[in-house]
Amino acid sequence: MSDELIELEEEEHTSQLTAPVFRRILTLLKPHWKWVLGFFITIALTSGLDAYFTYLNKQIVDTGITLGDKARVMHLATIYGVFQILQAGFVFTFIYLAGVLGERVQYDLRKMLFNHLQDLSLSYYAQNAVGRLIARVTSDTGRVADLLTWGVVDTTWAAMNIITSVTFMAIINWRLALIVFTIIPIMLYIAVQFRKKILVEYRVSRRTNSKITGAFNENFQGVRVVKALLREDENTREFQGLTTQMYKASYRAAWLSALFLPTVQIIAALALGVIVGYGGTQITLGLMTIGGIQAFVSYLTFMMWPIQDLARVYAEMQHSIASAERIFKLADTPPEVHDRDGAIPAQTLMGGIEFDHVDFYYEDRKPVLQDFTLKVKPGEMIALVGPTGGGKSTIVNLLCRFYEPRNGVIRINGRDYMDYTLASIHSRIGIVLQTPHLFSGSVRDNIRYGRLDAGDDEIIEAAKIAGAHDFIVTLEKGYDQNVGEGGNLLSVGQKQLISLARAVLARPELFIMDEATSSVDTLTEALIQRGMEALMQGRTSFVIAHRLSTIRRANRILVIEDGRIAEQGTHAELLKLRGHYYRLYTQQFRHELETQYGLAEAVGAELKEDAPEALAAD
Amino acid sequence: MTTVQPTYEPAITFDFRKALDQNRLKGLWKMMVDYRLPYIGATAALAVSALAKTFTYLLLRYFADDVLTQGRYIGNSLTQTFIWIGAGFVGLALVEGGFSFLSGRLAAYTAEGITRRLRDFLFDHIQRLSFSYHATTPTGDLIERVTSDVDALRRFFSEQGIGMGRIVLLFVINFIAILNLNVKLGLVSVVVIPFMLLVSLWFFKKVTKRYEEYQAQEAILSTTLQENLTGVRVVKAFARQEYEKDKFEKDNWGKFLKGKLLLFMHSMFWPLSDIVLGLQMLFGFVYAAFMAINGEITVGMYIAYVGLVVWLIWPIRNLGRIIVSASTGMVSYGRLMEVVKQAREPLFDGRHQPAGPVRGDIVFENVSFMYSDGKSNALKNISFHVKPGQAIALLGSTGSGKTSLVNLLPRFHEYTGGRILLDGVEIKEYSREYLRRQIGIVEQEPFLFSRSIRENITYGVGRSVSQEEVERAAKAAAVHDVILSFPDGYNTLVGEKGVTLSGGQKQRVTIARTLLKNPRILILDDSTSSVDTETEAAIREALDALMENRTTFIIAHRIQSVMNADLILVLDKGEVVQKGTHEELVPQKDGMYRRIYDIQTRIDEELEMEISRVN
Repeated sequence: MSDELIELEEEEHTSQLTAPVFRRILTLLKPHWKWVLGFFITIALTSGLDAYFTYLNKQIVDTGITLGDKARVMHLATIYGVFQILQAGFVFTFIYLAGVLGERVQYDLRKMLFNHLQDLSLSYYAQNAVGRLIARVTSDTGRVADLLTWGVVDTTWAAMNIITSVTFMAIINWRLALIVFTIIPIMLYIAVQFRKKILVEYRVSRRTNSKITGAFNENFQGVRVVKALLREDENTREFQGLTTQMYKASYRAAWLSALFLPTVQIIAALALGVIVGYGGTQITLGLMTIGGIQAFVSYLTFMMWPIQDLARVYAEMQHSIASAERIFKLADTPPEVHDRDGAIPAQTLMGGIEFDHVDFYYEDRKPVLQDFTLKVKPGEMIALVGPTGGGKSTIVNLLCRFYEPRNGVIRINGRDYMDYTLASIHSRIGIVLQTPHLFSGSVRDNIRYGRLDAGDDEIIEAAKIAGAHDFIVTLEKGYDQNVGEGGNLLSVGQKQLISLARAVLARPELFIMDEATSSVDTLTEALIQRGMEALMQGRTSFVIAHRLSTIRRANRILVIEDGRIAEQGTHAELLKLRGHYYRLYTQQFRHELETQYGLAEAVGAELKEDAPEALAAD
Repeated sequence: MTTVQPTYEPAITFDFRKALDQNRLKGLWKMMVDYRLPYIGATAALAVSALAKTFTYLLLRYFADDVLTQGRYIGNSLTQTFIWIGAGFVGLALVEGGFSFLSGRLAAYTAEGITRRLRDFLFDHIQRLSFSYHATTPTGDLIERVTSDVDALRRFFSEQGIGMGRIVLLFVINFIAILNLNVKLGLVSVVVIPFMLLVSLWFFKKVTKRYEEYQAQEAILSTTLQENLTGVRVVKAFARQEYEKDKFEKDNWGKFLKGKLLLFMHSMFWPLSDIVLGLQMLFGFVYAAFMAINGEITVGMYIAYVGLVVWLIWPIRNLGRIIVSASTGMVSYGRLMEVVKQAREPLFDGRHQPAGPVRGDIVFENVSFMYSDGKSNALKNISFHVKPGQAIALLGSTGSGKTSLVNLLPRFHEYTGGRILLDGVEIKEYSREYLRRQIGIVEQEPFLFSRSIRENITYGVGRSVSQEEVERAAKAAAVHDVILSFPDGYNTLVGEKGVTLSGGQKQRVTIARTLLKNPRILILDDSTSSVDTETEAAIREALDALMENRTTFIIAHRIQSVMNADLILVLDKGEVVQKGTHEELVPQKDGMYRRIYDIQTRIDEELEMEISRVN
């Protein structure tokens, strides 16, 4: 829902068309210029024929009926029929060409944006809400494609229609055509004003609508509180404020729309009145025919459609241009982290890792990591502990080269890691996130994500190592079970087990884990611990640790506070210091054991007796 | 304190339960109470507008035949005649335009008015449905109904109903007008119409299905995009950019192909129907022209015919589209009525309505409770007695029945056996409204609304509260200083666009809320698991302040929170397995309580051991 609000907010923006943006928008059509030309011609022909049909009707009256010439009528009718079939062909062509082209432009834009997003660095994602990026790829591309196709179709058709109509009118009687010609700008002006007003109301109603949905959502989710606090009446009253606002905006938009066409029509009718009065005189003078009057009536009656189309395209164009500018801006953002010139692939990550006086700060320049120095031997397990915001995640992000140091050097195998290609580093890292992220699809697909060419037996093997196999086979469809959007059909613990299996399959040389803080049930917790252990075997690993068992297992513990290493050493060394670590540890100790021995286990399950032993053995 | 009756009745202007009907069309008609006249008015205005259009062409005929061909002038003056006729055209245009506007406005009035009161009703209705209805109905499904289905009904009234009326009226009026000109001519002009209507119905049914597929593909694409963007760290960590590009490419291309198919269908239908209708019209033109040449009709009649027949023929192919989309309105009516017909939970049905607050003496006598699905008992034969101001703690694993038990007190659920007495009167005798006023609940996972902190604290108090009083409650709940640390203080917005509060802060805000409510009976779902250690002490202090002088039910997760309780119930599988005070329960060596207690004390010993071991 917040995505919807972002979208609405962005839609409000308008931009004026400038030459560079215009040229750039046009380049989107360049690869498909044949299609553009095709629909341009067919739409022009269609609209020319539309006006010509009215002229033919006039001819039937003036040269056929009035003169009693049946052959002439048949002749004109034949032309009419042939052109009609021809026009159907044109209509087919332009709908198809313009429509498919619109889809194609959208496809191109989305592809371009998506591919570019893959290359952008994590820092870009940190600064831009996902909702915005989604709006860029979905709605902005749609709006630009619409402008380039249906916008062009409508404008071309409308412009051609007006031009040919006026031309035919001038052929019939130039004086009367002049009258029509002068009212067209007036009609257009009024139409545009209407469109703009309607658009404003329409946006208000959409924004209100999104608030209404929010209110519904909140009231359903918080229904227990609502009932307990007897808020029903007041909630309804508040909600009525929203629906009243909605009513006002959408009612106004609706009746403005209803007023729009009649207003344009009435202006046309005023012209018609003048024409009939004036044209009548002309007929009596022999300057005008009955068919001519009829043609003028037709032309004027149908003039409102092209006017309406022009007004709509014009009113919406500014928003589409703003969309285009946002798209271009995203496309022009260079990735911050990229391969250096002459980068070579790293052969291994198992040669020792070194942070050498590394500084890091984000765009706001507030230091996150300061003068950070650390040497890690191959196969070592490092536990990072400390308060949220202390810089633990930044260390890991730098290590993965999601970010690069602002100052100082990070060395792998004794060499600045910026000399290596990104792909060669990333393909040797296995990572398990705090909030495990899965993709829609089967369990199998999600594990295979670790190594795309892995066979089914390897996937099962990895799942067994990670301790995920046992729960997977209990799923209804086993490895083919759909995990739902973002893995939502599984529990957090299960997601974590699958992401462990995924990391196992990747056979990483460097393993990074951000432990989940939220509690999972004891059995799953034990499985996760076992899986982690298996993964860390013989690998260098960094763990942002929350669990005591993990912390105690580390070769070295770093207490990270305010972007620095506050304390480091083994568990025993640090406890003796009675400093930061001691405080963190005792707090966590009580907390964890209270949860672990909490009532659920004590009352419910058999684990109650085993638990203390498990700890004692540790 | 006296029972506060609601100071106002929410202005639900129409009870949609009256619009329930097996026949959906009848149901829609019932929904239109108060708006029937405007809607009929909208249709009538449409008819006037269509008539004016028709008369424009008839005036043209008069102009061509009487004035121009036969030279009959009004008042024998050429100028005067032209002025009159010119004025006639303008006048008819004004009538046409004016009534078309009137019709649009009345239709919008109807559609928006019905939608507004439908939304109001649904909002009010749904929050009054029973607890079990909410527990079993997914929020997403309800949201879908109150948004998409309501909008489908709005379009039914504003677009489809009036659209069908427009096409039918145009057809009927112009058909009659043409028949009036010449019957034969009228009949030859509509030969293909029934056929066209069937074809367009068939086409739009097909195209709607294809469109849904297209939309589904768009949804798939969005999901892929969303997952990729939120999982960017995973993508990068496994260096799966190329794989992701391929996946997106597949979905993107799939959508392109579906769009192409859809466009192909459209680009076939419109020109083909153009040809059929265009040839029908041309046939009419030629036929009429020959009649005019043969003298069967006049030139003016021919001209009028050419103008009128356009409005007879072209709207027809849109009728198919409107009818097909109107059918979705009918489906939506059905889906909404499924919600409307759900029974509400009566708030004011009790016979016993004490003038003041309760004392808080609660007796459970063999209380049993079974969920309406009739599966196993959630609670079996629960009996105990709490005196006013006492604290009772409930211990037990998840699913042991702790929550079910406290849910019976505010009558969220109704017990199925035994009885519960409050101050000596069975609670079924009290109204839910009265009971809920007496009971305060602090949830395990505190729920705050996306409004200001102040509004969250005063939420549900039901009277105006001074800032001073709010602050006093916040101070007692140990959250005042936290609130002041936000830039906007008490006006800080909670949630999406505002500040994110930690679990502990949220909990303390709900405690402040409950303090302001000042209930006699308190239900505490005491979980500090979501809270970091520093705030734990603050919360405990706040809770102690809250429990003072109130009968309190504590759903406990830790031994600390039960030790001081006047009565402890240990629950297992819906039954009370142990009952007593801490002092009574600890000595029962093989009791469950003792086991829990042992573990708890062992933690401290272990920590000591751990630390001495490294030294």
